[in-house]
Amino acid sequence: MADKKRAAHPRTKSLKNQKKSSKKVGGSDMKRKRSGPRLPNSMRKEVDRLNKTSSLHNSDDEEIDSDEGNDFYEYEEPLPQEESRKNRRYDPVDNYEYQLPDNFEDENVLSDDDDENDYDSSDRTESSKQLGDEVEDDDDERHMRMLQGITGMPSEVFEGKKKKKKNIVVPEAYPESEFNPSRDVLEGSGQITIEDLLEPLQGKAGYSKLRKRMHQMDKKSVAIQAPLPKVEQDKLERKAVYEYSKKDITKWEPLVKMNREAPTIIFDEDTNIGFSTVGAIASGFEPRTEFEKKMATLVNDEKVAEAHKEDGARLLEMNKISVEDYLEDRNHIAKMRSLLFRHEMKRKRIKKIKSKTYHRLLKKDRLKAASAESLMDPEAAKEEARKQEFKRAEERMTLKHKNSSKWAKRILKRGLNTQDEGTRAAIAEQLNQHAILTRKMNSMKDSSSSSSSGSDDSSDEEDIDRNSADSEEDGASKLLAKAKEKTLKILEDEDEIPNSGVLSLPFMVRGMKKRKEEAIEEAKHALQEYESSLKELEGTGEEENSKAGVTSGRRVFGAIQKEVSKPNNKIKTDNYYRNSDSEDDLEPEENLEVGNRKNNDLQKDVNINSVLLNEDPESHRDSVFKSFDEVVRDSGPKTSYDVSIFASGTWKKMKSGNKIDTDTKKPTKDTDAKKPTKVVKRVWDNQGLEEMNDESNSDSDDGEREMVDGIISSEPKASYKLPSQEELIRLAFAGDDVEEDFQKDKEKILNEENPVPEKPHLLPGWGQWTSFQQKKGLPSWMVEEHENAKKKREDALKRRKDARLKHVIISEKLDKKAEKLHTKTLPYPFTSKEVFEQSIRVPVGPEFNPATAIGALNQPEVKKKSGVIIKPIKFEEVNPHEKTEDHKPHGQKQKMNKNKGVSNRRPKSRPVVVKS
Amino acid sequence: MKVKVISRSADEFTRERSQDLQRVYHNYDPTLRPQEKAVEYVRALNAAKLEKIFARPFIGAMDGHRDGVSCMAKNPNYLKGLFSGSMDGDIRLWDIANRKTVCQYPGHQGAVRGLTVSTDGRILVSCGTDSTVRLWNVPVANLTESDDSSDNSAEPLAVYVWKNAFWAVDHQWDGDLFATSGAQVDIWNHNRSQPVNSFQWGTETVISVRFNPGEPNVLATTASDRSIVLYDLRMSSPARKVIMRTKCNSISWNPMEPMNFTAANEDCNCYSYDARKLDEAKYVHMGHESAVMDIDYSPTGREFVTGSYDRTIRIFQYNGGRSREIYHTKRMQRVFCVKFSCDASYVISGSDDTNLRLWKAKASEQLGVLHPRERRKHDYHEAIKNRYKHLPEIKRIVRHRHLPKPIYKAAALRRTMIEAERRKAERRKAHSAPGSIVNEQLRKKRIIKEVE
Repeated sequence: MADKKRAAHPRTKSLKNQKKSSKKVGGSDMKRKRSGPRLPNSMRKEVDRLNKTSSLHNSDDEEIDSDEGNDFYEYEEPLPQEESRKNRRYDPVDNYEYQLPDNFEDENVLSDDDDENDYDSSDRTESSKQLGDEVEDDDDERHMRMLQGITGMPSEVFEGKKKKKKNIVVPEAYPESEFNPSRDVLEGSGQITIEDLLEPLQGKAGYSKLRKRMHQMDKKSVAIQAPLPKVEQDKLERKAVYEYSKKDITKWEPLVKMNREAPTIIFDEDTNIGFSTVGAIASGFEPRTEFEKKMATLVNDEKVAEAHKEDGARLLEMNKISVEDYLEDRNHIAKMRSLLFRHEMKRKRIKKIKSKTYHRLLKKDRLKAASAESLMDPEAAKEEARKQEFKRAEERMTLKHKNSSKWAKRILKRGLNTQDEGTRAAIAEQLNQHAILTRKMNSMKDSSSSSSSGSDDSSDEEDIDRNSADSEEDGASKLLAKAKEKTLKILEDEDEIPNSGVLSLPFMVRGMKKRKEEAIEEAKHALQEYESSLKELEGTGEEENSKAGVTSGRRVFGAIQKEVSKPNNKIKTDNYYRNSDSEDDLEPEENLEVGNRKNNDLQKDVNINSVLLNEDPESHRDSVFKSFDEVVRDSGPKTSYDVSIFASGTWKKMKSGNKIDTDTKKPTKDTDAKKPTKVVKRVWDNQGLEEMNDESNSDSDDGEREMVDGIISSEPKASYKLPSQEELIRLAFAGDDVEEDFQKDKEKILNEENPVPEKPHLLPGWGQWTSFQQKKGLPSWMVEEHENAKKKREDALKRRKDARLKHVIISEKLDKKAEKLHTKTLPYPFTSKEVFEQSIRVPVGPEFNPATAIGALNQPEVKKKSGVIIKPIKFEEVNPHEKTEDHKPHGQKQKMNKNKGVSNRRPKSRPVVVKS
Repeated sequence: MKVKVISRSADEFTRERSQDLQRVYHNYDPTLRPQEKAVEYVRALNAAKLEKIFARPFIGAMDGHRDGVSCMAKNPNYLKGLFSGSMDGDIRLWDIANRKTVCQYPGHQGAVRGLTVSTDGRILVSCGTDSTVRLWNVPVANLTESDDSSDNSAEPLAVYVWKNAFWAVDHQWDGDLFATSGAQVDIWNHNRSQPVNSFQWGTETVISVRFNPGEPNVLATTASDRSIVLYDLRMSSPARKVIMRTKCNSISWNPMEPMNFTAANEDCNCYSYDARKLDEAKYVHMGHESAVMDIDYSPTGREFVTGSYDRTIRIFQYNGGRSREIYHTKRMQRVFCVKFSCDASYVISGSDDTNLRLWKAKASEQLGVLHPRERRKHDYHEAIKNRYKHLPEIKRIVRHRHLPKPIYKAAALRRTMIEAERRKAERRKAHSAPGSIVNEQLRKKRIIKEVE
């Protein structure tokens, strides 16, 4: 049986060998290039070349045979489970009694398996499943052989089964070595190739993969080149090193970039300076002086500490006070409190007493006491006098009692008549007080001479008061009478109507009539008031009865006037003022009006309705402007028109035209008396000597205006014709050559900027020794210099920007003070002027920026502390994306980046702190 | 009628202390102050003038060496400590605040060419022409130490003798490696007597070496073959070389921008490079009249100081073509080494006249404690000066520097020469076929090639 087994195995092997040797001629490259892994490529090739014939011959039948073999094995495949020992039913123990016979050695040694052991690890999954520990393999092989003997099946069958179960290699019986070579090697016939080794695996999973790999390896294998010269090698190595270190050093780039772009880089190390906090210093305190020691003993007293330890109740124990002391103290406090309370109550009670008599008596008592004191003591008297004097002075200063208080004002505003008696009395009382206080002064002066006693002071005062009141009343009545008279006069005067000029136009007449009526009405009102107030003044006791019921005539008068004027428009009130009020009031108004009209009515637009003009100056102005604009649009440039206005003599005339309008509104003063002056004025007017403002100052101008008005009003009536625009413009520009003026102006400016060289002249006696030298004239150098200067000037003029522009002046004057603030060229990091100017636009100083912003604005580029060691940079990850967002704006500040200004405009932020 | 009443509480206007300022309310309506620009301009002008008046940069000289000062090192961990080595092999530790020698380190037989201090400030490394690297212990600074006499001398921790003379040394930031340069670049460890690594690219002497403080594994050297070489310790290989027309005497990395470094060139200029693009300089900093001997960046990375053979020290902005400041004194000779202090407020220079000099980094800066108001005022002045710096008057005042006559004349001569050169080039261009001569940028002109 054992023999059989023995015979079986070698038979299969030899069969295999046969297959190998009978390879097909047209086999693929792969099959020809097979090699054992141990052989170097070159050597194998050599061997291949030598064995070519045999290998070719071998490969002939290989494929066929392998096919056969496959078929053969397929057919044997199905095996009982027991055989594969999958279910472990059979004892894995090998058959130990088996002994190798002596002749076994020759027969059985195969190099296949050994070779397969050397497959690289990736192949192991398939081909080197046989890899296992030697001992076990030995046993397994024996076992397999036994199986083979028993079943008569080829070993491959068992091998396959076993392979699935275990990675088993069938090894040599003896370890292969130089002393123990395998048979094939000894014979020299069996060239073992990878092909051989792959053979048995054909059809197994992963076989194709393995083959492909082999194929690739075969293809790639090239002969190793001879090593490069040392220099070249070094060069390559250096290159590699440089590339590597370059790459490595690039990691710093974001960090460095961030630091560079930061507006401020702060080298701030957290240095431990030692005791920094107060607590730390205090903890290290040790008492040195005696006082300190004393304090320390007290503070650190154990008893105190103990007492403090719990709720502090024991502190009280240490703080003992005797009961007597405590009681005494308490009683004292209570007593003081009760006293205070009583006093308080008393004061309260007294304060609550409403009786005036009581208070008066009280006051009297006080005064009496004081006077008694003063009588007794001259010093006190003096003091008293001084006090009084002070009071009076105060009254004069403040006018406290002259209805200037809020209360009094309010009452007056509401009207005294509406008040009750008490209030009125109070007001009267106050006024009285004022009178007393102010008049005392006189009386005092008087008293110094008349030596009046203090007792009849009051009666005296009253007398004087009355007198003064009388005199006042007298004055008022006189005034009123006068005003009344005047008003009446005006009423009478108003009848006269101008029968010529604009004012004679029917609508004007109508308007005037209307206004006159109103004025008359008002005048009547005024008259009534005058009368009433006069009555009032006459009978002082009739105050209540009087209709007007006002203390001061003027005030009431104003108020009523207001009422009256309300329905009328503003101009009318003006008129009213002119009618009735004093000249002083009129003056500024007129000025104003004239001033307004000055430019409005330049047009001499006779079409303009004077009434309309009077009633609504605003709209009038608009209309004037409208027509003005039209004129401008129609003919010629605006500027020229302006010029015309100011240059031409017609201007005055127009003004006088305005005056007509203004004056017609107020048929006021008696005109006859002032006629002669008017004539004179007119003459002035025509000559253009008079100033507008002056006109309104004097009385005479009123008349003058009327006069002028008379003339003019007659004029349009006689020969009025609407002048065409051209005519107007021609009139406006009469005698006015704008171009020439401009030329002159330009010349002047040119001369200023490029001054004409001074003509050379000799000082008498200079450069001349004798009289005959005079003939020579100026020295040649002087002449030459002059010529040069002239030439230079001409050149300069030619070079001017406005040399060819006839109607333009471009000043080339440099402001030397401003020049300092400009650079001649754009400084380096900036690319545009705007950016540069932006960069120095916003001030950074503490006057111009709040304190919170200044720190950021004035940060230096590098912030460091002296005395702190700065260590070199340490690597840290910088997020480049974050960085680009955050730092780019500031980055432009760096000199490398061109537009610095952008950064300066923004508030700098996010400085970089370098922790070294 | 609407009545407007001004009501202000007395509390707001009452000062707590007599020193307090009266509260003032401002109306910030711009129409109320129409002359703001003129006002600020005048202020800026005054600020510029004041700056000139208060410009007193020189603080003091530190005398003690018996030969020219060849190199310096600042203690990265202690502000007051500064080491200096001289041509006679003397190394001194200075207390800058007192301007006194704290300690001396005798031992070098020849000139000390390089000094550096480890980041923790414990170990000083020196090297020199006697082919030795010496490690020294730095005394811990405290109050008692400074009171001691200045004849405090120390023994070296270790002396490593090597094959060639050394030209420079620099310590890695936050590591225990340091690099020396001489015939090649050697990387040393504190604890090894032999270099842990050596780089050689070409045969020329490497005259300066500097580690990148931001990237501790990257270092740059300049060599006498006019090259600047970058190295990377991670790959233990040089990376790239740039050859310029003239050699660079020194090099300095920007501590805040690890990709940028500036090289001090013999041709009176400094060239700022981006380590990633070596085919052109990013900036050319002009101003010196003779070879620039040393350069050091301010810890802020915004400016650097250079010392030159023309006996001046200049401070440049990191992106400025011209110097912001020129320092010189009558007695200062050729400047061999300069350093910015670790807090970026002082500059120290060592020169041929055996002295170290201490300068303010900002000439008109007010030293000492500043009240907040003072500080605000200074800030404001600075801001408006900066704002109006382009206007001619202010520009003139701010730019004006009084120079020693030789330097002034040299500058004028140089200008003439450059102008002549420019004219010549212009004419040559005009007389040659169009397009045959291309104007080369100044940034690229002085670079011969970039070697891989």
